Amino acid sequence: MLRALLVLLLLPSAARAGTIVGKLELPSAPERPAAATKGFLERVENPLAPVQALNVPKQIVIVVEGDEKPATPPQVSWDLLGNSFSRPVIAAPAGAEVVIKNASRTTHTLVAKEDAKLIPPGPINPTGPKSFRATDPGKVYTISDPDAPYLTGKLVVVNTQFIAYPDDSGKFEISDIPPGAYKVKIWYRDGWLERPDDSITVNAKGKTELNPKITSLASPPGAGKK
Amino acid sequence: MFLSKIWFFLIALLAGVALTVALVMPRPAQRRYIKEEQDRLAIACGVIDILLTDDARNRVDLAGTFARAPEVVNALESASGADKLDEARMKQVRETGEKIMAGISGRKPDFAMLIDRRGRVVARVKLDENDFGDVVAGRPLVDDALAGYLRDDLWAQNGTIYLVSAAPVIKRDATVSFAGAVVLGHKVTNELAQKLVASLDVDVSFHLGDDDIAGSKSLPLDHAKMQTALKAVANGDPARDCQANHPFDLHAGNDDFTAIVARLPGEAQSRQAYFSVLIKRPETRGFSGTLKAVTQSDLSFANFPWILVGGAFLLALAGGIGLMWVESDRPLRRLANDSVRLAKSEKERLSEDEHGGKYGSIARSVNIYIDKLGRDAKSARTNLDSLLGPAPEGSLGTIDLLAGALPPSRPGGPAPAVAPPPSDFRFAEPSSRPTPPPMRAATPPQGTPPPRPAPPPRPPTPAPIAQQPSPPLRLEDDILGGDSDGAVDPYFKQVYDQFVSVKQSCGEPTAGLTYQKFSEKLVKNRDDLKSKTGCKEVRFTVYVKDGKAALKATPVKEEG
Repeated sequence: MLRALLVLLLLPSAARAGTIVGKLELPSAPERPAAATKGFLERVENPLAPVQALNVPKQIVIVVEGDEKPATPPQVSWDLLGNSFSRPVIAAPAGAEVVIKNASRTTHTLVAKEDAKLIPPGPINPTGPKSFRATDPGKVYTISDPDAPYLTGKLVVVNTQFIAYPDDSGKFEISDIPPGAYKVKIWYRDGWLERPDDSITVNAKGKTELNPKITSLASPPGAGKK
Repeated sequence: MFLSKIWFFLIALLAGVALTVALVMPRPAQRRYIKEEQDRLAIACGVIDILLTDDARNRVDLAGTFARAPEVVNALESASGADKLDEARMKQVRETGEKIMAGISGRKPDFAMLIDRRGRVVARVKLDENDFGDVVAGRPLVDDALAGYLRDDLWAQNGTIYLVSAAPVIKRDATVSFAGAVVLGHKVTNELAQKLVASLDVDVSFHLGDDDIAGSKSLPLDHAKMQTALKAVANGDPARDCQANHPFDLHAGNDDFTAIVARLPGEAQSRQAYFSVLIKRPETRGFSGTLKAVTQSDLSFANFPWILVGGAFLLALAGGIGLMWVESDRPLRRLANDSVRLAKSEKERLSEDEHGGKYGSIARSVNIYIDKLGRDAKSARTNLDSLLGPAPEGSLGTIDLLAGALPPSRPGGPAPAVAPPPSDFRFAEPSSRPTPPPMRAATPPQGTPPPRPAPPPRPPTPAPIAQQPSPPLRLEDDILGGDSDGAVDPYFKQVYDQFVSVKQSCGEPTAGLTYQKFSEKLVKNRDDLKSKTGCKEVRFTVYVKDGKAALKATPVKEEG
């Protein structure tokens, strides 16, 4: 009954919503960062094949912000796969419930570095969830497991629900966007990228193409705090 | 004796310095020993780190060899293409892994993980063998191996530490592609610890927080102290912990150790994985401990300067004896000889100039005393003279009178040749009768008596006093008076009777000579002489002088 009501409420807006599609133009992948941990030896490249490039798109989040603020932000799901998050960076609309699902066989205890009270205390057992709400737009949280420092993810709180994660080739799509003018922001690893083409007008119907060109993956100083 | 004193002072000083050196020397040696042991500890720590690094290199090579096995490449390439991993595939890949593991010579891995290019565990060998399909990507070692790196790491899991190594699995057909990765793990065991310190003469223990994981020796260690030591180097490079950390004292069981701690690198570091190197604290060696540690070879002629020590001893001995002979024995012998000559009356005084230093002082003191005795004798004689008046010619001299009060032998040889003044007193009564011998002789004079005039013809010996009649006497000059009614002193009565008898024998009148007056006079003279000479007793002798009876008083200093 509630589901039917929700569909009826969304129908008018969906009918006049547009879609943004596109592909990121990325520069050459940067060198792999130094390993988070080091044993007795420095890591050495294998002699048979060049080392694989860093998967840059996996660390990018595309956000489209307009004047309209999300009234009922959707739930954001973030999977914990083994010893890493399914995506190292996610964005969540302000006020949205973030649910971390532990898909690994290891119990983890997650803590937000910037706000110890953000995540309810206690471990997340295998297959178990842990949910919380991030309400302050613009805030960035670094979620990690103190027992496994390499297990780290960034949660970026944004003032929109129109968020996209590109695939390995850089393609992305954001649907159900009301027509209007929007600002496009791209987050890479630790901060927002500085770009000139940050405005887009979404049509009421059809697809609006957006191919952001990223010339540099270097974030401006303090970009992560915006 | 001055030089002898200086010599003994120097010997005592040298002995004191030698004793101080003997007591103090073990301390810097002990400090140096402890410092050397601490240095050895730090070096051993560094060597263990090097051995672990070398072991890591071997393990990485082994992982590379494992990853290059064609069966592994094919199995992981096939698994990477599958959306879902099943148990049949897991078992097949596990068998492949077990075969390869069995073929490894030397120290075999304690587990192996075969991972497809998606980061999923296709199969595990020897540890958690039935688990598969979980994603292990995200761990730095696995991520690096999937990216194409060979490396090592340390994992803390299942309550222990694993030395892990990983290598990418690469398919080399027409096109080169990554198929996955292989991770090998070697457990940190007691055997590994013993192997690491086999030639280092130290002990090593591996720890995970407050838990002991393994060690070359089972020791109940104080983790609080080790954790404190770890905090001191928490901000530095773990690879330099052995050099940066300071050894500290640690008590374990019944033994005291000196220990040093160093963090283990890798993933396990976040779980406070570290190792400690221990060495038994050297016992404190004091003077006795140092002596106990002396071996026979230390005292051999080759290792010990016996000739130098013996020469120094003989030199000290000869110097001391020589100085004692020069400054003590020789002058003492000279003084002794001089004294013997003095005693033999071969000389009157000690030769002061022949004796130096204290011996000269002794000689001077002896001489002074001799002179004093002479003066005392002269003074005593003078006193007697004043008491008794001038001695009659031919009577005994003062020295003769005093002979009884003087020691039997006198220092300084014979008495002076000068004739002493008369010291006897007499009753002024002319008499031409010969002097009778004294009824009670004084102590015979010692030495040579002074020459005196020949006595007058000896009168007939008077009868003993007891047999003499006691007619009333009359003292004409000195003693006048009537009979006394007082008590009669036997000695005075005897002297009185003798005096009266002698007077009668000399033909002198005795009328008026009463015993009372006679005894009063004797008492007065006795008291005067006592007070002047300090004698205890005075004896009176009756004799004949110039044909008249006379009386001499002799002070007696000693009884009998």
